[in-house]
Amino acid sequence: MANPFDSDDSQILEGFLCPLCREDLKTPEKLTIHVEKVHAEEQDVVKSLKDIFSIAKKKIKLNFDETVDLAKAFDTTLKPNYSGGQIDVITDGEQTVGVDCDHFSYLNAIRTPRLERYASETNKLIIRIDKLLKERPTDPVQRKLHDQKTVPWLDGSSVKLCPNCAKSFNFTRRQHHCRLCGTIMCKDCSLFLKYEFALQLANLAQTTEDISKASEEGKQKDEGIRVCDHCLRLLETRKEMQDSRTCRPPITLYYDRIKEIEKEIAPDIPMYSKIIKSLYDGDTIFTLADASALRGKIGHAAEKIDSLSKAILSLPCPQGSREEALKKAVRLACIKMIKEEMLSIPSLPDEQEIKKIRDRRRMETEQRIERERRLALEAHERYGLGATNSTTMSNAENAAFGSAMTTLDNWSAYQSSTATSSDPLVEQINIIKGYIKQARQDLRFEEVATLEMNLRELQGEFYRRHQETKQA
Amino acid sequence: MNVITAIKLYIEKMTNESGPGLKIILMDKETTSIISMAFSQSDMLQREVYLFERIDSARSNERLKHLKCIVFIRPTKMNVSLLADELRSPKYGAYYIYFSNIIPRTDIKLLAESDESESVREVKEVYADFLCVNPNLFSFNIPYCMQSLKWIPEALMRSAQGLTSILLSLKIHPVIRYRAGSVVAETLAKQVYDVISKESSLFDFRSHDNGVPPPLLLILDRRDDPITPLLHQWTYQAMVHELLTINNNRVDLSKVSGISKDLKEVVLSGDQDEFYSGNLYSNFGEIGSRIKSMMDEYQKKAKDQRKVESISDMKNFVETYPQFKKMSGTVSKHVRVIGELSDQTAQRNLLNISELEQDIACRADHSAQLQRVKKLVADEKTAVKDALKLVAIYALRYERHANCDIMGLLQTIEKRGGKASFVPKLIEYAGQHARQGELFSTVRITDAVKFTRNLIKGLKEIENVFTQHTCLLKETLEEVFKGRDLDPMYQVVGSYVPFRRPHQEVVVFMIGGATYEEALAVHQLNVSGYRVILGGTTIHNSDSFINEVAHATIGVQPKHTKSLQQFYSPD
Repeated sequence: MANPFDSDDSQILEGFLCPLCREDLKTPEKLTIHVEKVHAEEQDVVKSLKDIFSIAKKKIKLNFDETVDLAKAFDTTLKPNYSGGQIDVITDGEQTVGVDCDHFSYLNAIRTPRLERYASETNKLIIRIDKLLKERPTDPVQRKLHDQKTVPWLDGSSVKLCPNCAKSFNFTRRQHHCRLCGTIMCKDCSLFLKYEFALQLANLAQTTEDISKASEEGKQKDEGIRVCDHCLRLLETRKEMQDSRTCRPPITLYYDRIKEIEKEIAPDIPMYSKIIKSLYDGDTIFTLADASALRGKIGHAAEKIDSLSKAILSLPCPQGSREEALKKAVRLACIKMIKEEMLSIPSLPDEQEIKKIRDRRRMETEQRIERERRLALEAHERYGLGATNSTTMSNAENAAFGSAMTTLDNWSAYQSSTATSSDPLVEQINIIKGYIKQARQDLRFEEVATLEMNLRELQGEFYRRHQETKQA
Repeated sequence: MNVITAIKLYIEKMTNESGPGLKIILMDKETTSIISMAFSQSDMLQREVYLFERIDSARSNERLKHLKCIVFIRPTKMNVSLLADELRSPKYGAYYIYFSNIIPRTDIKLLAESDESESVREVKEVYADFLCVNPNLFSFNIPYCMQSLKWIPEALMRSAQGLTSILLSLKIHPVIRYRAGSVVAETLAKQVYDVISKESSLFDFRSHDNGVPPPLLLILDRRDDPITPLLHQWTYQAMVHELLTINNNRVDLSKVSGISKDLKEVVLSGDQDEFYSGNLYSNFGEIGSRIKSMMDEYQKKAKDQRKVESISDMKNFVETYPQFKKMSGTVSKHVRVIGELSDQTAQRNLLNISELEQDIACRADHSAQLQRVKKLVADEKTAVKDALKLVAIYALRYERHANCDIMGLLQTIEKRGGKASFVPKLIEYAGQHARQGELFSTVRITDAVKFTRNLIKGLKEIENVFTQHTCLLKETLEEVFKGRDLDPMYQVVGSYVPFRRPHQEVVVFMIGGATYEEALAVHQLNVSGYRVILGGTTIHNSDSFINEVAHATIGVQPKHTKSLQQFYSPD
């Protein structure tokens, strides 16, 4: 038998199709926007489209709320209740976090000008380094002249004491100049900027090769560039800031991946419990295979986290250091997380059992429908012919509801004769079915649930219309 | 109004604001206790805080630039200068600084000037500056707060800061009342009031114009009720504290003979231990039967474990394993604690002693009670410290009775090697001259309401001889909630337009330490729909209270106990 949902031109269109121009828009949001933009004149269509979505959403929301409530009730009944009213019940709504007072802007207002001053000073020094290192002569006398030309030296004739250690200058303690700012100091107070470091700062060395070459040169010449304490500190601070910003040891890489996996798996754990619960309730939204697939995914994630945290633990580090403590703590947290959240999920239910529950549930539903029909019939007889229309209507509705609630399989029997593939409703149903399949494959069960609900809405609606036309 | 939640929310805020990543938390001694009362270490691990460090102890120089550092410290001068040092040579990548109370701007300036590598990302005050013991009980861990019956200045400052933080963390802008006539209460009340007026922008929440009376901060003095901390307690939490001492939710069991290694120190935290939170206020008898049922359940499960035969059995067992392990830990812990309590109760003859204690506290019958006290005090089986407490309770009650025989009793105590000097000190500290209100319902004909109430109380059959005493605090609070005129007993600080309706929310603070019996009274009020939080400079048991009295009376010239001078040791 031909699939009733097949369209006339034998080409199947899937997705969120625009009912007016049949363009596939991929998501409901895009579809709404598209219709609003392109078909602005056909406002009523837009409205109806919006309505369908909003109603569907509402219904879905309602259903989920119910399950949440159930879960709550479940929890409270299961939890051991040691004694009534031991914990204070002071609940006036949710307690919110207390007052706080932010001083950051004040701190920043003081810090920024200082930092800017340092920054400009440091930048000046780096520019000087750059100039100093360019074409620096190897001959000491020439070099001195070159240095002095780049940075004007302070006149030392009036300086009798070293400004740093306050010792007097004489034959044995001669004056020296900082090559970066030109100030005077004695030999003991001089510090040296390593060539390697200087090149790095000035960004002259592009590769490590350059640096090693330069440092070799430097070793041949002398210790480096003579600088004062102040200049060296500024440069070192700059270096450290650069380093700490770019500091990303392997542990952080592993750690980030662990967190990524955790984030990814986080919604799956409650979803899994939801699926299990719905299976035990006899719902048909999810199948046992769904649960098993999701369980597999969670287990796989747990394995990955486990191996990543082991990798962290095996990173080399000195014994007794805090790095080691950190690694241990991360591993501990991972183990705890895996044990308490990922491995404690309930096991898969038995297939037979689920089938039994489902059968029972279907029986109950059928019985209920039967009962309602009987009641309706009785009412019909009691009130006579006057009420004929309304009762048959409600009857039909009941039946439709029932069919939607039972299984999807007996659905196809209904419309085989009447359904016309040009019906947008049928198309929508087809599309949604496709989506459900896709979502299942990708283990996006939140979506599956939403779509299933959507599908049932549509099917119910379709059946109702179908009944109406039949009556007409 | 839940003080544990208040602290938790603050800590969550701190850990959230620094974003994802590996974190370390840097604390001082006090903030370490503050956090440990609300969160366990594994809770902190869950919030990505993997290392814990104290700012005020020797620290390694190891640099871990890939860590974010949350700093949570009290705003003391010492801490600020240590933090400034840290910022000058930062060990971590970024700093998120939180002070637990109001910090002067000059200190922020110092930090700004020290932060040369621009590693501070956040500077905030969060008002988590108190230890949350129970949802309705907080403490500042000040073991003694007075000397020569005056505030120790540091203790006063800490109390004022702590109270400010309580108010801010719960967003309360209260009316402040203090016990009229108590100088310490008045001083503290005024300090808190000054802070509120000075920091009016912080206290700018909720206007009470829609007929809801403002919350009340009631500052009381322990000296009005010296009896409660001396009585032996029979509810679980109070009893553990009395016999084993709870220190920041931890109980030291290392002195108990034959204790296993992992139970040397046990953590009793209502937040992490369901059994404990369910039985804080249960009395000893109830708890015995509950632990038994818990044991049965545990044994049943343990037996299941042995019966594991098929694979499905094993699976079942493994799946319930986390709960099982948790439960087994809880069971063995509480069995141990309760076992120790019951051993001590039997050894020290506490049932008999407690019965007499309660009798003296609740009923006036001098001659009969004196006979019983004499007998118990002389009895070698009664521990000296229990005998001393008994004499102290007797002395408080019959201090001015014509046939009062404190002298004779103290001689017996001294003969047995007890610290007899405590009793005169206690009377100097909280004798009838110092007390206000009616600690021992001495019936006055003028007060008809009280007279009849006492009469009815006397006629009612006493339900439990060991718990018949109700603390003064309960009566005080009942009066507050009934909307009695508070002015004569509890003066208001600042201007206050009287309100027609009684207060609905009350924060009570006890200078000189609160007790778990009072926490129970507050709990009972909360259960019946009122909203009360209790706090104290510390939480006392009888030992710590004796210590508090000893400190408070250092340098006090005996005025009211001249007849007992022979016992007044010069320490």
